Amino acid sequence: MAVCVAVIGKDNAPLYIGGIGNDTSTDNELSRQWLVHTALDALEERLVSSNTTTANTATNAARTDLRDLYLGLLYSTDTHKIYGYVTNTRIKLVLVTSSTSPSGSNIRDAEVRTALRRLHALYADAICNPFHLPGDQITSIKFDKQVKNLMLNNV
Amino acid sequence: MADDIVFELLHSEIINYALEQVKDVTKTKDTDLSVVEYIGFAAGYKIMERLTREWPRFKDELDTMKFICTDFWTCIYKKQIDNLRTNHQGVYVLQDNAFRFLTNFSNGQQYLEFAPRYVAYTCGLIRGGLANLCINSVVTAEVQAMPSCKFHIHVQRT
Repeated sequence: MAVCVAVIGKDNAPLYIGGIGNDTSTDNELSRQWLVHTALDALEERLVSSNTTTANTATNAARTDLRDLYLGLLYSTDTHKIYGYVTNTRIKLVLVTSSTSPSGSNIRDAEVRTALRRLHALYADAICNPFHLPGDQITSIKFDKQVKNLMLNNV
Repeated sequence: MADDIVFELLHSEIINYALEQVKDVTKTKDTDLSVVEYIGFAAGYKIMERLTREWPRFKDELDTMKFICTDFWTCIYKKQIDNLRTNHQGVYVLQDNAFRFLTNFSNGQQYLEFAPRYVAYTCGLIRGGLANLCINSVVTAEVQAMPSCKFHIHVQRT
Protein backbone atom coordinates (compact mmCIF):
# COMPACT_ATOMS: atom_id res chain seq x y z
CA MET A 1 0.00 0.00 0.00
CA ALA A 2 2.56 2.56 1.05
CA VAL A 3 5.10 3.68 -1.50
CA CYS A 4 7.43 5.37 0.93
CA VAL A 5 8.00 5.82 4.63
CA ALA A 6 10.37 8.16 6.39
CA VAL A 7 11.68 8.63 9.90
CA ILE A 8 12.64 12.21 10.65
CA GLY A 9 14.54 13.23 13.73
CA LYS A 10 14.04 15.95 16.30
CA ASP A 11 15.92 18.53 14.24
CA ASN A 12 14.11 17.63 11.01
CA ALA A 13 17.06 15.69 9.64
CA PRO A 14 15.95 12.49 7.93
CA LEU A 15 17.05 9.38 9.80
CA TYR A 16 15.64 6.94 7.32
CA ILE A 17 13.80 7.17 4.03
CA GLY A 18 12.70 3.96 2.43
CA GLY A 19 10.61 3.30 -0.60
CA ILE A 20 9.55 0.33 -2.58
CA GLY A 21 9.53 -0.11 -6.30
CA ASN A 22 12.42 1.14 -8.34
CA ASP A 23 14.83 1.47 -5.49
CA THR A 24 18.00 2.26 -7.35
CA SER A 25 16.66 5.01 -9.55
CA THR A 26 17.88 8.44 -8.50
CA ASP A 27 14.71 10.08 -9.75
CA ASN A 28 12.60 8.04 -7.40
CA GLU A 29 14.90 8.79 -4.54
CA LEU A 30 14.67 12.50 -5.20
CA SER A 31 10.93 12.56 -5.55
CA ARG A 32 10.61 10.61 -2.32
CA GLN A 33 12.75 13.09 -0.45
CA TRP A 34 10.80 15.94 -1.92
CA LEU A 35 7.46 14.40 -0.96
CA VAL A 36 8.56 13.78 2.58
CA HIS A 37 9.94 17.25 3.02
CA THR A 38 6.83 18.98 1.76
CA ALA A 39 4.99 17.17 4.53
CA LEU A 40 7.20 18.63 7.24
CA ASP A 41 5.65 22.09 7.13
CA ALA A 42 2.20 20.61 7.45
CA LEU A 43 3.40 18.51 10.37
CA GLU A 44 4.81 21.47 12.24
CA GLU A 45 1.62 23.40 11.64
CA ARG A 46 -0.47 20.62 13.16
CA LEU A 47 1.77 20.45 16.20
CA VAL A 48 1.68 24.18 16.85
CA SER A 49 -2.08 24.43 16.44
CA SER A 50 -2.63 21.49 18.77
CA ASN A 51 -0.49 23.19 21.40
CA THR A 52 -2.36 26.47 21.30
CA THR A 53 -5.79 24.88 21.39
CA THR A 54 -4.90 22.87 24.47
CA ALA A 55 -3.74 26.09 26.09
CA ASN A 56 -7.05 27.73 25.29
CA THR A 57 -8.85 24.82 26.96
CA ALA A 58 -10.72 23.48 24.00
CA THR A 59 -13.45 20.92 24.49
CA ASN A 60 -12.43 17.67 26.02
CA ALA A 61 -13.09 15.55 22.97
CA ALA A 62 -11.05 17.82 20.75
CA ARG A 63 -8.21 17.85 23.22
CA THR A 64 -7.82 14.11 23.45
CA ASP A 65 -7.94 13.98 19.69
CA LEU A 66 -5.21 16.57 19.36
CA ARG A 67 -3.03 14.81 21.85
CA ASP A 68 -3.11 11.68 19.75
CA LEU A 69 0.25 10.75 18.26
CA TYR A 70 -1.33 10.02 14.91
CA LEU A 71 -1.95 13.21 12.98
CA GLY A 72 -3.90 11.85 10.05
CA LEU A 73 -3.76 12.98 6.46
CA LEU A 74 -1.37 15.88 6.19
CA TYR A 75 -1.24 16.65 2.57
CA SER A 76 -2.46 15.20 -0.63
CA THR A 77 -1.36 15.74 -4.17
CA ASP A 78 -2.63 14.40 -7.47
CA THR A 79 -0.52 11.31 -7.15
CA HIS A 80 0.20 10.86 -3.48
CA LYS A 81 -1.31 11.08 -0.02
CA ILE A 82 0.92 11.87 2.92
CA TYR A 83 0.15 10.79 6.48
CA GLY A 84 1.99 11.91 9.59
CA TYR A 85 2.70 10.66 13.11
CA VAL A 86 4.75 12.39 15.77
CA THR A 87 6.01 10.53 18.81
CA ASN A 88 6.38 11.97 22.28
CA THR A 89 10.09 12.15 21.61
CA ARG A 90 9.49 14.44 18.59
CA ILE A 91 10.40 11.82 16.06
CA LYS A 92 8.30 12.33 12.96
CA LEU A 93 7.09 9.35 11.01
CA VAL A 94 5.76 10.00 7.53
CA LEU A 95 3.97 7.54 5.32
CA VAL A 96 3.23 8.20 1.67
CA THR A 97 0.66 6.26 -0.31
CA SER A 98 -0.02 6.46 -3.95
CA SER A 99 -3.50 7.69 -4.81
CA THR A 100 -3.27 6.49 -8.40
CA SER A 101 -2.74 2.79 -7.79
CA PRO A 102 -5.89 0.77 -7.06
CA SER A 103 -4.66 -0.51 -3.69
CA GLY A 104 -3.66 2.89 -2.44
CA SER A 105 -6.54 5.04 -3.56
CA ASN A 106 -9.17 3.76 -1.15
CA ILE A 107 -7.05 3.16 1.86
CA ARG A 108 -8.69 3.50 5.22
CA ASP A 109 -7.52 5.75 8.02
CA ALA A 110 -7.40 2.90 10.52
CA GLU A 111 -5.02 0.97 8.29
CA VAL A 112 -2.61 3.85 8.10
CA ARG A 113 -2.85 4.30 11.83
CA THR A 114 -1.89 0.70 12.55
CA ALA A 115 0.90 0.81 10.00
CA LEU A 116 2.37 3.90 11.62
CA ARG A 117 2.05 2.39 15.07
CA ARG A 118 3.95 -0.64 13.90
CA LEU A 119 6.57 1.57 12.33
CA HIS A 120 6.93 3.32 15.67
CA ALA A 121 7.47 -0.03 17.36
CA LEU A 122 10.10 -0.94 14.78
CA TYR A 123 11.79 2.40 15.31
CA ALA A 124 11.87 1.89 19.08
CA ASP A 125 13.51 -1.47 18.54
CA ALA A 126 16.07 0.02 16.16
CA ILE A 127 16.92 2.72 18.71
CA CYS A 128 17.55 0.09 21.35
CA ASN A 129 20.38 -1.31 19.29
CA PRO A 130 23.46 -0.36 21.32
CA PHE A 131 25.41 0.42 18.15
CA HIS A 132 22.97 3.11 17.19
CA LEU A 133 23.79 6.56 18.50
CA PRO A 134 20.93 8.98 19.06
CA GLY A 135 20.50 11.34 16.14
CA ASP A 136 22.35 9.15 13.67
CA GLN A 137 20.86 7.77 10.50
CA ILE A 138 19.38 4.32 10.88
CA THR A 139 21.58 1.97 8.91
CA SER A 140 20.27 -1.29 10.33
CA ILE A 141 19.54 -3.77 7.56
CA LYS A 142 17.08 -5.59 9.79
CA PHE A 143 15.09 -2.40 10.30
CA ASP A 144 15.15 -1.75 6.57
CA LYS A 145 13.81 -5.24 5.84
CA GLN A 146 11.07 -4.99 8.42
CA VAL A 147 9.96 -1.62 7.12
CA LYS A 148 9.89 -2.89 3.53
CA ASN A 149 7.79 -5.80 4.71
CA LEU A 150 5.45 -3.44 6.46
CA MET A 151 5.03 -1.42 3.30
CA LEU A 152 4.52 -4.41 1.05
CA ASN A 153 2.25 -6.95 2.59
CA ASN A 154 0.41 -5.63 5.57
CA VAL A 155 -3.04 -4.02 5.46
CA MET B 1 11.58 -11.10 42.00
CA ALA B 2 14.70 -12.52 40.47
CA ASP B 3 15.11 -10.01 37.66
CA ASP B 4 15.23 -7.14 40.14
CA ILE B 5 18.24 -8.52 41.90
CA VAL B 6 20.02 -9.11 38.61
CA PHE B 7 19.69 -5.44 37.74
CA GLU B 8 20.87 -4.39 41.20
CA LEU B 9 23.94 -6.62 41.15
CA LEU B 10 24.88 -5.58 37.63
CA HIS B 11 24.53 -1.97 38.64
CA SER B 12 26.86 -2.32 41.61
CA GLU B 13 29.38 -4.24 39.54
CA ILE B 14 29.41 -1.55 36.88
CA ILE B 15 30.19 1.00 39.56
CA ASN B 16 32.97 -1.11 41.02
CA TYR B 17 34.42 -1.57 37.55
CA ALA B 18 34.24 2.13 36.70
CA LEU B 19 35.97 3.02 39.96
CA GLU B 20 38.73 0.49 39.31
CA GLN B 21 39.33 1.90 35.83
CA VAL B 22 39.62 5.42 37.15
CA LYS B 23 42.01 4.34 39.86
CA ASP B 24 44.22 2.55 37.31
CA VAL B 25 44.46 5.56 35.05
CA THR B 26 44.94 8.40 37.49
CA LYS B 27 46.45 6.59 40.51
CA THR B 28 44.49 8.83 42.81
CA LYS B 29 41.54 8.22 45.07
CA ASP B 30 39.26 10.44 43.00
CA THR B 31 35.90 9.05 42.12
CA ASP B 32 34.91 9.93 38.60
CA LEU B 33 31.51 8.57 37.79
CA SER B 34 30.89 10.30 34.48
CA VAL B 35 31.11 6.95 32.71
CA VAL B 36 28.37 5.51 34.88
CA GLU B 37 26.32 8.64 34.37
CA TYR B 38 26.70 8.27 30.61
CA ILE B 39 25.61 4.64 30.72
CA GLY B 40 22.52 5.80 32.54
CA PHE B 41 21.96 8.51 29.97
CA ALA B 42 22.02 6.05 27.08
CA ALA B 43 19.68 3.68 28.89
CA GLY B 44 17.24 6.43 29.82
CA TYR B 45 17.20 7.71 26.27
CA LYS B 46 16.28 4.32 24.87
CA ILE B 47 13.80 3.35 27.56
CA MET B 48 11.90 6.57 26.99
CA GLU B 49 11.20 5.75 23.37
CA ARG B 50 9.49 2.53 24.43
CA LEU B 51 7.68 3.81 27.48
CA THR B 52 5.99 6.72 25.79
CA ARG B 53 4.77 4.66 22.87
CA GLU B 54 1.26 4.21 24.17
CA TRP B 55 1.01 7.65 25.72
CA PRO B 56 -0.84 10.67 24.48
CA ARG B 57 1.29 13.71 23.81
CA PHE B 58 2.52 15.51 26.90
CA LYS B 59 0.91 18.88 27.57
CA ASP B 60 3.87 20.63 29.15
CA GLU B 61 6.99 20.19 31.20
CA LEU B 62 5.14 19.48 34.43
CA ASP B 63 3.17 16.77 32.70
CA THR B 64 6.45 15.23 31.61
CA MET B 65 7.85 15.36 35.14
CA LYS B 66 4.76 13.65 36.47
CA PHE B 67 5.36 10.92 33.94
CA ILE B 68 8.94 10.54 35.20
CA CYS B 69 7.70 10.32 38.78
CA THR B 70 5.03 7.75 38.14
CA ASP B 71 5.44 5.52 35.12
CA PHE B 72 9.14 5.89 34.46
CA TRP B 73 10.03 5.31 38.11
CA THR B 74 7.63 2.39 38.44
CA CYS B 75 9.12 0.78 35.38
CA ILE B 76 12.65 0.91 36.79
CA TYR B 77 12.32 0.94 40.57
CA LYS B 78 8.89 -0.68 41.06
CA LYS B 79 7.64 2.26 43.05
CA GLN B 80 6.65 5.86 42.49
CA ILE B 81 8.50 8.97 43.55
CA ASP B 82 7.24 9.99 46.97
CA ASN B 83 7.38 13.73 46.56
CA LEU B 84 7.67 16.09 43.61
CA ARG B 85 8.33 19.76 44.18
CA THR B 86 8.96 22.56 41.73
CA ASN B 87 9.45 26.32 41.72
CA HIS B 88 7.72 26.54 38.31
CA GLN B 89 10.89 28.03 36.86
CA GLY B 90 12.59 24.91 35.71
CA VAL B 91 13.77 23.42 38.98
CA TYR B 92 12.22 20.15 40.08
CA VAL B 93 13.02 18.13 43.17
CA LEU B 94 12.10 14.47 43.17
CA GLN B 95 12.26 12.77 46.51
CA ASP B 96 12.36 9.03 46.95
CA ASN B 97 12.12 7.95 50.58
CA ALA B 98 13.29 4.42 49.92
CA PHE B 99 15.60 4.55 46.95
CA ARG B 100 16.16 1.01 45.79
CA PHE B 101 19.94 1.08 45.40
CA LEU B 102 20.34 2.41 48.93
CA THR B 103 17.76 0.44 50.90
CA ASN B 104 20.14 -2.46 51.54
CA PHE B 105 22.98 -0.35 52.88
CA SER B 106 21.83 1.36 56.02
CA ASN B 107 19.08 3.21 57.73
CA GLY B 108 20.98 6.32 58.67
CA GLN B 109 24.39 7.91 58.36
CA GLN B 110 26.56 4.82 57.99
CA TYR B 111 28.28 4.48 54.58
CA LEU B 112 26.99 7.92 53.68
CA GLU B 113 30.24 8.83 51.91
CA PHE B 114 29.68 6.05 49.38
CA ALA B 115 26.12 6.99 48.57
CA PRO B 116 26.97 9.32 45.67
CA ARG B 117 28.35 6.37 43.69
CA TYR B 118 25.01 4.67 43.72
CA VAL B 119 22.97 7.60 42.51
CA ALA B 120 25.09 8.61 39.51
CA TYR B 121 23.51 6.05 37.21
CA THR B 122 20.03 7.22 38.10
CA CYS B 123 20.95 10.86 37.47
CA GLY B 124 22.00 9.85 33.98
CA LEU B 125 18.85 7.83 33.56
CA ILE B 126 16.65 10.82 34.30
CA ARG B 127 18.75 13.13 32.14
CA GLY B 128 18.65 10.75 29.20
CA GLY B 129 14.93 10.25 29.50
CA LEU B 130 14.33 13.98 29.52
CA ALA B 131 16.78 14.58 26.70
CA ASN B 132 14.80 12.27 24.46
CA LEU B 133 11.69 14.27 25.32
CA CYS B 134 13.54 17.43 24.20
CA ILE B 135 14.19 18.76 27.70
CA ASN B 136 17.85 19.50 28.30
CA SER B 137 18.67 19.37 31.96
CA VAL B 138 21.28 18.95 34.63
CA VAL B 139 20.42 16.33 37.20
CA THR B 140 22.12 16.13 40.57
CA ALA B 141 21.37 13.99 43.57
CA GLU B 142 21.54 14.59 47.26
CA VAL B 143 21.55 11.99 50.02
CA GLN B 144 21.20 13.25 53.55
CA ALA B 145 20.20 10.08 55.30
CA MET B 146 19.93 6.71 53.65
CA PRO B 147 17.81 5.31 52.12
CA SER B 148 16.12 8.56 51.20
CA CYS B 149 17.38 10.43 48.16
CA LYS B 150 16.56 13.70 46.42
CA PHE B 151 17.10 14.33 42.72
CA HIS B 152 17.38 17.93 41.61
CA ILE B 153 16.53 18.60 38.00
CA HIS B 154 17.55 21.96 36.54
CA VAL B 155 16.03 22.45 33.14
CA GLN B 156 18.35 24.34 30.79
CA ARG B 157 16.57 26.99 28.81
CA THR B 158 18.14 28.39 25.70
